[in-house]
Order: sequence, then C-alpha cells, then structure tokens
Amino acid sequence: MIVWLFLLLGFGRVPQTHTVEIRGMEFHPAALTAAVGDTVVWINRDIVPHTATAKGSAGWDTGSLVASQSGRYVVRHNGVLHYACTFHPTMHGTLTVR
Amino acid sequence: MPRPTHPLLVAVSLAIASSLHAQNAASPDLSDPEVAHVAVTANSIDIDMAKFAQTRTTNGAVKQFAATMITDHTAVNEQAAALAKKLGVTPADNAVSQSLEDGAKQARAALEPLHGKAFDRAYIDREVAYHQAVLDAIDKLLIPTTENADLRQLLTAVRPAVATHLEHAKHLRIELGGTPRASK
Ligand SMILES: [Cu+2]
Repeated sequence: MIVWLFLLLGFGRVPQTHTVEIRGMEFHPAALTAAVGDTVVWINRDIVPHTATAKGSAGWDTGSLVASQSGRYVVRHNGVLHYACTFHPTMHGTLTVR
Repeated sequence: MPRPTHPLLVAVSLAIASSLHAQNAASPDLSDPEVAHVAVTANSIDIDMAKFAQTRTTNGAVKQFAATMITDHTAVNEQAAALAKKLGVTPADNAVSQSLEDGAKQARAALEPLHGKAFDRAYIDREVAYHQAVLDAIDKLLIPTTENADLRQLLTAVRPAVATHLEHAKHLRIELGGTPRASK
C-alpha cells in the first residue's frame, strides 16, 4: 500500500535516459519530454561538430561534440527549455520537463 | 535551370552543363578520383575564404559563421581524405575543380579592397552563391556521376551540412541589410 502510494505520487519513479540523435543537421527528436532527474544524451551522428546549448541562463551546454561523440544533461528544472546548436543557428530543439 | 548571375555560378553551371552534355553524348563523365578532387577543392576553397574573412571582419555573427565554415569543411575534408585512402583513390585534377579555383580567385580579388559592412555583405553574398552552386553540383553532377557507393554515401552525408550553411548565410545576409547581390 505504501509502495503503491509512493509510486502514485512519483517518489518511486526510476530516472530514465533519453537519447537525442543529431543527424542530417537536425535533432531527432526535436521535441522531447522528460522529468526532473532524467538524463538526456545527445549523440552526434554527423560528420561535422555540433552542440546542444540551452538558451537563457538556467540551462546546459554540451560543448562541441565531434562525430560519434555524445554529451549529457541531468534534468533539473521544470518548464519548456529551448536549445540550439551554437555552430548552426538553424538547428533547434525543445526539452519539456514535467 | 534559373539563370545564374554570379560569376562563380556561371563557371560551375558551365562545368556542370558541359559534363551533362558529355553524359548525353555518351562520353566518359567525371571519374571517381575526379569527383573526390572536386569535393576536396570545394571544401578547401571555402576554408581559405573563411580564414581570410576572419582577418577582415569585425562582426561577431560573421566571425562565428566563418568559424563554422572552417570547422565543418575541415571535418568533411578529413572524411574525404580517409575515404580516399581506404579506397586507394588519388584525387585527380579536372575542369570542374579548375573552374572552382578560378571562381575562388575572382571572388577573393573582388573582396580584397572591401572593409567593414561592405566586406561583410559581399563575403556573405559570395557564401550564399557558393553554397548554392556547391549544392547544385552535389545534386546534378557529383552524386549522379559517382560510381563508388562509399563516395556517394559521403556526398549524401555532406549535402545537409551544405544546405544548412546556405540557410545560415541567407539569414545572416538579411541581418546585414542592404540589397543582396545574388538574390535568387
Ligand atoms: Cu550544428
């Protein structure tokens, strides 16, 4: 009963890992939903380097990810976070945390 | 095909047209070593132009664009070199590479006397035209004439990067104001 209650309230939730592939100069998926405590991994499948860099101050920056390299962020804040590649301003993604 | 207005576009289009004509006449088109040479030349030209731009511009967004051109085209050339080595292919000079080189010399000469905003606009105009020409060359010449599957795969993988650079340059060009030279 207590375990069930904890699960219902979300205390027993096991943190998940979400993967965003960067390929063809796009984030796949470009829109991701995660929870606080989850980990988001960006892996670069392209030849050219990319970043996944949050807009605004309360965010993250993977720094330059060369081919096959990955970067990660442990989600800390609720809300809709927009991010982009600092090298390619046409590349955008969103991370919705709830 | 829309009528190109930029000298480089004309040069590349002529090279493409003559090659396509050669194809129609059932003559040999670009060999794989020649395609590899065109690819490496196209990347090197943009790297050199970006390095020159970095010594000339004072605009942060233009500097960032030039840095991206150097990083990306260098990464592509490293892949091309690795693939050529793996395939035992020695890139071979050819008419398309030479027309690219000639166009680059002309573009560099045109930019040489410019400074400030005039330079930024002319450089980005040139980058818009150049990436459009390279994109056309990839689609109409390089991918169709490449026989080696690995080389074709590399060209296919590079295409989105060139398309992204083109979009980046177009956005930047609008931000710089004035009338774009090669607006098409
Ligand atoms: Cu990028």
